Amino acid sequence: MAAVERPIVKRSLLSWVFDGNIGWQITLLGVIAVAVFTRVLPLEMQKRIVNQAITLRNIDLLLLYCGYYLAAVLVSSACKYMINILETLISQRVLARMRAALYAHVITLPLSFFRNTQPGTVVNAIVNELVVPSNFVSMAMSTPVSNILTLLAFAGFLFWLNPLLAAVSLSIYPAAMLLIPFLQKRANIANKTRVDQSRIFSGRIAEAISGIHEIHGNGTYRIEARKFNKMVERLRKVRVTWGLYRFGVKSTNNLFTSLGPFLVFILGGYLTIKGQLELGSLVAFLSAQEKLYDPWKELIEFYQVHQEGEVSYKRTMEFFDATPEHRLEPTGRKPLELEASLDIKNLSFVTESGIRLLDDVNLTLRPGEHLALVGFSGSGKSTLALCIGQLYDYSEGHLLLGNEEVAHLTRKDVVSNVGIVAQNPFIFEGSMAENLLYACEAAAQGNGAPGDGRPTLDDIIAVLHQTGLFTDVLRFGLNAFLSPEKHREVVKTITRVRRKFQEKFGERLADYVEFFNENQYLSYSSVAENLTFGAANREEFANVHLSRNDYFMTFLDKEGLLRLLINIGVRLARQTVDILGNLPPDNIFFEQSPMSAEELPAYKLVLDQLRRRKDQELARDDYLRLLDLALRFTPGIHKMVGLGEDLQKLLLEKRARFRAGISQDLPDAFTFYSQNDYIYSQTILNNIFFGKTKTSSTETQETITQNIIQLLIEKDLLETIVDIGMHYNVGSKGDNLSGGQRQKLAIARVFLKAPRVLIMDEATSALDNKSQARIQNLLETRWKRKSTLIAVAHRLDTIRKFDKIAVMKAGKIIEMGGYDELIARKGALYELVGRK
Amino acid sequence: MSSLEESSLGPSCEFQENLNLLRQTHFFSGLPLESLKVFAYLCVRERLHAGEFLFRQGEDDHQAYYIVSGKARLERNENGHEREIREFGAGTFIGGLTLLGETRRLYSLRAVEETVCILLSREKFTKAIQQFPEQIPRIIRIVVGSINDWEDRFLAELAADCGGCLPRLGVSLL
Repeated sequence: MAAVERPIVKRSLLSWVFDGNIGWQITLLGVIAVAVFTRVLPLEMQKRIVNQAITLRNIDLLLLYCGYYLAAVLVSSACKYMINILETLISQRVLARMRAALYAHVITLPLSFFRNTQPGTVVNAIVNELVVPSNFVSMAMSTPVSNILTLLAFAGFLFWLNPLLAAVSLSIYPAAMLLIPFLQKRANIANKTRVDQSRIFSGRIAEAISGIHEIHGNGTYRIEARKFNKMVERLRKVRVTWGLYRFGVKSTNNLFTSLGPFLVFILGGYLTIKGQLELGSLVAFLSAQEKLYDPWKELIEFYQVHQEGEVSYKRTMEFFDATPEHRLEPTGRKPLELEASLDIKNLSFVTESGIRLLDDVNLTLRPGEHLALVGFSGSGKSTLALCIGQLYDYSEGHLLLGNEEVAHLTRKDVVSNVGIVAQNPFIFEGSMAENLLYACEAAAQGNGAPGDGRPTLDDIIAVLHQTGLFTDVLRFGLNAFLSPEKHREVVKTITRVRRKFQEKFGERLADYVEFFNENQYLSYSSVAENLTFGAANREEFANVHLSRNDYFMTFLDKEGLLRLLINIGVRLARQTVDILGNLPPDNIFFEQSPMSAEELPAYKLVLDQLRRRKDQELARDDYLRLLDLALRFTPGIHKMVGLGEDLQKLLLEKRARFRAGISQDLPDAFTFYSQNDYIYSQTILNNIFFGKTKTSSTETQETITQNIIQLLIEKDLLETIVDIGMHYNVGSKGDNLSGGQRQKLAIARVFLKAPRVLIMDEATSALDNKSQARIQNLLETRWKRKSTLIAVAHRLDTIRKFDKIAVMKAGKIIEMGGYDELIARKGALYELVGRK
Repeated sequence: MSSLEESSLGPSCEFQENLNLLRQTHFFSGLPLESLKVFAYLCVRERLHAGEFLFRQGEDDHQAYYIVSGKARLERNENGHEREIREFGAGTFIGGLTLLGETRRLYSLRAVEETVCILLSREKFTKAIQQFPEQIPRIIRIVVGSINDWEDRFLAELAADCGGCLPRLGVSLL
């Protein structure tokens, strides 16, 4: 299809009807033809039953005609069902393809487009506005064809029965066809406004949600709510208007069709009384006429869906009808391999509002030279860097990358040669590995299609070391859980590492780790873990299910622990709600809490009940909630209440009782913690420790990690753990990573791509001293002479070894040269350094 | 880290102790109980052995410290030479400024003996104080007051001996 080549925003809605769906549409037509026939047949049978079978009192004929009738009804129902299925299939196929095409188009649009477009707008367009158009496409052929055929068939049948009567009763339809389009036009206008309003509306919601911290920070709940209400009101009005016209169309149509029988009764009755029409024919006529309504109604509905679909589709496509600033891929040649030299002549960048962000910039760099851009914020450093990366389009002058004008290159040419670490790098939901390979996969091949050119595991590990991400990834790996199905071999080695680790560091470690000691109450394990002191082998004995487990509950009851635990639960709930009750559901507030932010409202209610009922029994659900809280209680982490020594002693005694009891009753329910077994319910790290860490100090954790690395290398396990760590999910927007980790990841993924030209826009601003020095050192040793570097510097102590330093002010380069040269000149750089 | 010992004391808990200690610091004094509770809850404890660092010169460690017990020494490395500045004992609160903004430590602080301290990170402080924005001016007033008092005391007690350092003074004029 030629239509496929056209950008989606230029395609008409009708072009989707046959594109890729010809087979389905033809099948649908076939089924419809059968359906129409089976709809007319019963009418003829009806006539024959009355006129022949009943009048002639012939039972055989009655049975025969009734048989035909029944068969026709059955086939007709089956056809109807099949039509529905086929329509759903077609509409979903079209919807999926429209969504994919629109999304693919939207993400190629220039950055400037998104400055005025909220994410919510895109979400709304792709999720909501394409649904009606795709429904229309599925009906576009089947509905008009089937209903017009049916209409014609019935109309023909009516004329065959009695031409006069038919002409009179069909006269209502032309009248309806005059009035309905008039109303529909009004509905379309309202619908257009509705599409626009919904788009603004969705954009507004998305904006508020992404700025939620500002709303909380400034307490502007009311202001935001007021702004929102205005829009809700506008949308409500336009939807009401739209609804009025839509239902106007329906009601008008209904009125006209209801007039039909009236005409038949008055004229047909007269004719029958006069003996000019058989009674059977009148009955058949009435039925046939009634059958006209359905196809007619469907046609009108189809007409409405078409109009609405057209409106949604056109409005959406018009909105996104922008063209990418640069062609994505070259045609008829491979991406250029550019020489990494840079030649900038009289370069200016002027914004739409006429502000000169770059003003007559001149600059040359030989391949492999390193340039630092310095100056106050707003001086144009980042703008210049982004122009070199083709992310901004310069307005005047020339920017030659390897003697090619950057403005004329395709994105693919640039991406293959240039790597960018952005000021605020964006990390996408997915694993560490996926994020690390993000840049080099796209550079190596097309857009994400698998192929060669991928870095090897060794390359990846080297880059992890270079950027200092290695220990982070290792720690992710150590904090992962293993499964008995997949890791049987690894587990054996880890148990060996455990023994070695304790031999070597056992004593020193005692300060930082609470070992799983059978004869000691564990402050860094939950009450439940303290009681069972083992890993459940059956789902129903897992910690989270214990309060619903009959065996465990009977145990608590028998040992007199229930009341005690409920008391702890009440104390915990009271204190936690008291401290955290009015705070937003931010993770940072709930890390040290036994209840999650989502559970907090439920516990508020439980406490309310407790206050009101006083001595009375709590509802069972509330009671179990309190018990859950007590079972989760980990005094080493949840500091809002204390756990007395007597109680610890008691729980310790009960641990022994539980073990004795369950070993006898259900010996396979638990594997008790033992030095010789791997504990699947604990992380790899806790397994190596055979305990849980007590410290949050990063320095201590660093020391421990270094020690563990040694042992893992000895046992040849390091790569396995790193590999597990590479599967760590970074969370939406990389939220599970710290700011420093996100930045290191962004640097690592560009290093892995090893571009000829490297642009770093304040790329190390979130890193600690050590990591920053490491990256700096790496750039000076590994990347010098190899890649051309343009670095926007945020700290002046990092720029000494750059080949060139350009000091920028108000969009101009006011000074350029080597560090010592510029300092000796006592000009702008000298001033800047002094000021710091 | 010392939670085991403390929590075994019975009904008293770390949270209560933190609350009592924070109330005694100049920085947090005067905050209403509702917000103080949140800070007390967000604090964590660490136990350090003699010789271990609380923070190191040149680094931004993102946290403030309250020394519960023990002793720590402030040191400064000047061109490779370690200089001892002074010692801090139990009851000292260090790092209020760190909570307010990024600062690179000008000194190192190192435990001289077994030391227990309470830590509050800048991230937690910032998120929590945002919930009580009406308290921010109060905290700023306290910090400004402290800086002014410090220089005032310095001038009164040491200005005569400080020789050539006078022209560099004036931190309270910032």
